[in-house]
Amino acid sequence: MTVVTTLMWLTVALYAVAAGLYVAFLAKGNEQGSRWSAWVLAAAVGSHLGFVATSWAIGGHPPTSDIHQALSLMSLILVAVFLVLARTRERLRVLGAFITPVTLLLFLGAAMRRGAGEQVPEGVRSALLPVHVGVNVLGLAAFAVAFAAGAAYVIQERQLRRKQLGGLFQRLPALDVLDQLGLRSVLIGFPLLTIGVVTGTMWIVQGSLGLSATQGFGLLAWLLFAGVLLLRVAAGWRGRKAAIGTMLGFLCTMLVLVGYVVRDSFGAGA
Amino acid sequence: MSEVFVLGVSHHTSPVALREKLAVDGKALGETAVQVAKAASLQEVLIVSTCNRVEVYGGKGDEAAVAAWLRERVGGDPIDDYVYVHRDADAVRHAFRVASSLDSMVVGEPQILGQVKEAYAEAKRAGSIGSLLDRCFTTAFSVAKKVRNETRIAEGSVSVSSIAGDLAKKIFDDLHGRRVLLIGAGEMGEAAAKHLQKSGATIHVVNRSFNKAQALAEEIGGNARRIETLSSELTAADVAICSTSAKRFVITTELMRGVVKARRRRPLFMIDIAVPRDVDPRVGDLDNLFLYDVDDLEQVAQENLGERRRAASAAEEIVAAEVLAFEKWRQAGALKPTIVGLRRRVRTVLAGELERTLPRLPDLSDKERRSLEKMLDAMTNKLVHRTISEMKANAGTPEGQALVETTRRLFDIPEERAEREPTGPAVLEPANARTKAS
Repeated sequence: MTVVTTLMWLTVALYAVAAGLYVAFLAKGNEQGSRWSAWVLAAAVGSHLGFVATSWAIGGHPPTSDIHQALSLMSLILVAVFLVLARTRERLRVLGAFITPVTLLLFLGAAMRRGAGEQVPEGVRSALLPVHVGVNVLGLAAFAVAFAAGAAYVIQERQLRRKQLGGLFQRLPALDVLDQLGLRSVLIGFPLLTIGVVTGTMWIVQGSLGLSATQGFGLLAWLLFAGVLLLRVAAGWRGRKAAIGTMLGFLCTMLVLVGYVVRDSFGAGA
Repeated sequence: MSEVFVLGVSHHTSPVALREKLAVDGKALGETAVQVAKAASLQEVLIVSTCNRVEVYGGKGDEAAVAAWLRERVGGDPIDDYVYVHRDADAVRHAFRVASSLDSMVVGEPQILGQVKEAYAEAKRAGSIGSLLDRCFTTAFSVAKKVRNETRIAEGSVSVSSIAGDLAKKIFDDLHGRRVLLIGAGEMGEAAAKHLQKSGATIHVVNRSFNKAQALAEEIGGNARRIETLSSELTAADVAICSTSAKRFVITTELMRGVVKARRRRPLFMIDIAVPRDVDPRVGDLDNLFLYDVDDLEQVAQENLGERRRAASAAEEIVAAEVLAFEKWRQAGALKPTIVGLRRRVRTVLAGELERTLPRLPDLSDKERRSLEKMLDAMTNKLVHRTISEMKANAGTPEGQALVETTRRLFDIPEERAEREPTGPAVLEPANARTKAS
């Protein structure tokens, strides 16, 4: 195994262990494990950084040059944001149970690589590509946080309504905290994703890229987020429906990414 | 006769009418303890008196006189059926359990520790306790702290008003600046509102009678509102507590449908503490509205109480270990008179023989005499060593007790209580005499 693949599998393993610890804490209140979870996750970030650096050095492509590397970068940013969030606001630590599995999936997507930088069509390769990938990556990381907050909100609201006030209810943060976190994350993510969609649309308009199902889902996700945000800000939307809308938006963006990864990995064409 | 005992009545064994009669005012705890010590010829006395228990802890003396004192307090009525007695290790365990809130009506409630501490401070101030009860209660306080820190016995709210507060925090997180609407003037509703107020919420009061609303608002530091504004008040509120004495629903589904619409999805937490209920239960199905009635809150209280009871078994283990350690200390102390007496007896016999022999040895120098004296000490130590170590090793067991008695008989050691503690009730001794003796 090369250094790159060793680091890759080490990162996968560390993310998997961290995800297990966070989920165990949320579900069972396992305090013992939760003390380690942040350290395991920090170790995963270290290993992940090493992976990004070595593959850039060896492959010669910056981490924004293809979809696998972009995915890897996105999961790295997501975890870094979460670690800072959990450190400043102790109560949000439990959201690791939603964020770490998403991270693991993103990174696994990144790991399914077949060569680098070759699948991007000729007309799209430009100075604009790193910008397009960069803003999308940051925007999606913000939406991933919004997704985690939304998922926790839906669970928490359901428990409160059914009067199931057990350990899970006690460990999750207050409804208002989750609602606010969801709103702020979408507020940050939306402008970034908008730039991503605009740059992407430009290529389609220029004719250097055809409109396919993946791009369609990208637009759908953007529209969903736009809708949620509009309703939240203009119509004072909040609560469960806002949370579900956010979650659907994130799932759509995930479908776009799956589309890219499948196309790139198995050469199905754009 | 016991080294330490406790005689008392509690919510487990007696009706409140009896406890009322026996109760001792907090300020009089010390003086009363001194009186009991005198009346019952006890060396040490400490009295704990709360609304759930009245207990007299005694050290070194007869408990029968304390029982008589209690009887006298209720006017001579027979109370033996209600009074419990624990002696020695059981008395120590009882003190630890009481201080740790394991014997409380609401297991884990925090007040009892403060009340026992107050009783201890009063007894100490009045000089009614000596080293035994002093050590017993200072240990009880550290046991209580340990139990609180190491078990979940004090976790989870167990009162309806604090559970309402917990739930509000699980919805709104920070209650500062949140608005609580109190509908009706029921006592429980008031308690819940006060609880939320302590966390920073502001209170608005609505009542069918505006005067009553004003009076209540004034009392708890809130704002009174007219009943006509109910709908707009509900729209503005974050938490609504209903505790009217109305016979039918005050809050109907129609009213709340309009309110929920006007609230534009801001969550509303409704607590219906009234019996019969004030809020139509169908209101709970509306979006972004969480309705809890008194049964829901009671159920949470019962669940939390159950959790505490489960935690209590871990607490009992801590108590058991601490009782064992305390008993070891107490028994080591109890051996002291026998050990001192044994040494003295052996040393006296040997010294007597030496006295008799010395006149026949006129040529001894001072230095040689001193050597012989030293030899006496060494012989004493060698002779008693095995006996003492056996007594210590078996302390607290029946064999150990038999060994102590046998040793006392074989070496003719008289009862010498003064060796360990001052004679007579501690309270009658001048303070300096006590420190010298101990």
